[in-house]
Amino acid sequence: MIADRLIEQGTLRTDGTRVRVDVRMPWYRALPASSIAGADLVVDGVAADPSTLRWTMNGRTWRFEELPPRIDDWWFIQDAAVLEGELAVAPGEHEVEVGLRLYIPYIVTDHGVLMIDEHGTRTMTAVAA
Amino acid sequence: MSGTPIQGVTLYSFTRAFHAREYDLESLIRRVAADGLGPGLELVGFQSLRGFPHVDDAFVERFRALIAELDLLPTTLSVNTDIGIRRDRLMTDEELVAYMEPQIRTAARLGFSAARIQISLSPDAVQSLLPLAERHGITLALEVHAHQHGEEERILRMRDRYERLGSPLLGFTMDWGATTVGFAPSLVEAYGRRGAPAGLVEEAVRLWQRYAEEGAPAGDEEHGRRFGAFLELGARAGRPDLGIDLAINATGLFGPARIDSWREILPWVRHVHGKFFGIDETGEEPSVPVRELVALLVGAGYSGAISSEYEGWHWNHWDDAFDIIRGVQAVQRSAALDAGSRMLTSAADARASLARELGHPAGVV
Repeated sequence: MIADRLIEQGTLRTDGTRVRVDVRMPWYRALPASSIAGADLVVDGVAADPSTLRWTMNGRTWRFEELPPRIDDWWFIQDAAVLEGELAVAPGEHEVEVGLRLYIPYIVTDHGVLMIDEHGTRTMTAVAA
Repeated sequence: MSGTPIQGVTLYSFTRAFHAREYDLESLIRRVAADGLGPGLELVGFQSLRGFPHVDDAFVERFRALIAELDLLPTTLSVNTDIGIRRDRLMTDEELVAYMEPQIRTAARLGFSAARIQISLSPDAVQSLLPLAERHGITLALEVHAHQHGEEERILRMRDRYERLGSPLLGFTMDWGATTVGFAPSLVEAYGRRGAPAGLVEEAVRLWQRYAEEGAPAGDEEHGRRFGAFLELGARAGRPDLGIDLAINATGLFGPARIDSWREILPWVRHVHGKFFGIDETGEEPSVPVRELVALLVGAGYSGAISSEYEGWHWNHWDDAFDIIRGVQAVQRSAALDAGSRMLTSAADARASLARELGHPAGVV
């Protein structure tokens, strides 16, 4: 669902050791931070170490393990979140892949609360930040 | 007496444009009014309203002024029953009731006459919400959405509770996606564009038709079995990603129940999602029997709202949603005329009709 827009074009930034990219909601409505199950950030085939990933939305930055209890912090569908991780990336053109797993809190199946697993890939130009 | 359903639209139909920031809430509502797609207006709180369920008084005032200026009728606010919001466990009935309260209160403050609620609410939980609905004079309309349908066990249990409680404020939202007659051609085209291997989609369409002939799933177990069969088709074709997509769409969007299945709950229908997926070159909707559904409602004396709900946007990124809504509303109006009645398109007529149908004017705070 709207996974074609998962990565926002023109948003890849690097400081040489960490990279950041804007991520858009792949669902039709706002979801709380507790629904964000996990993410992957891969540049030119190299995945950022999951322990270095950070998630920024509504002006606050979290580690992923801090998100599950946050049931009152909402990600609005017109807002981008920022996914950031440790990767040595130089300015210039790169292939960026993002994976994002989201729980859909009102859909419960035999296997528990529905989780969607969305992926996006874009060729992007990193700018120094 | 023949019903005169109210023409309208849900902003959910324009998810793609709103998500792309082509519109903000105000400009989207202005476009709907300018295109004459109302007077009925529905929206999803968690989609359209930043900060939902909390909105401040200044926003409420601006929203009501906009609706008045454009002469629209806010019919239903779709609220969500997020039973799985916590990671450690599902919410209890008590917690769910508390979770629904601010959403329903916001619906009333914004001037909606009804709130669409969802299946995770048990009959006991809905009963617990009734005093709140009475306080605000707002109808609670539980959505019957594929894979549920009018003869499904959970829906019938809810209907029996409604019958016992006898409140005019409790009813159902009928979603036409429960009674479709086939896959949308635009969905088949979209799978082709995504490189579906030869035969996979044809096989899925055949499987869907076989299930449709067997009848709608009687309960969650049968639903799960069918879901798994579509997953397997994708896996066997080497495209598990398309298998998941097919399973979700085939069982959750294209419900195979017979139109007559609605008769079990027809007297309790308080709102309608005129779910559809596209309009073909003859001007008709090939996968949803829109004409028969409008005739059924007219014949039952239904004079509440039909929110045209375009769902083809998930996969159709090449057609304009506004044109498609215009197309389906023309089919609805023509069907109402064929049934010896008409759809209401003036706001004044619609307002009076909705108040009569629901037994109360718009909600109060």
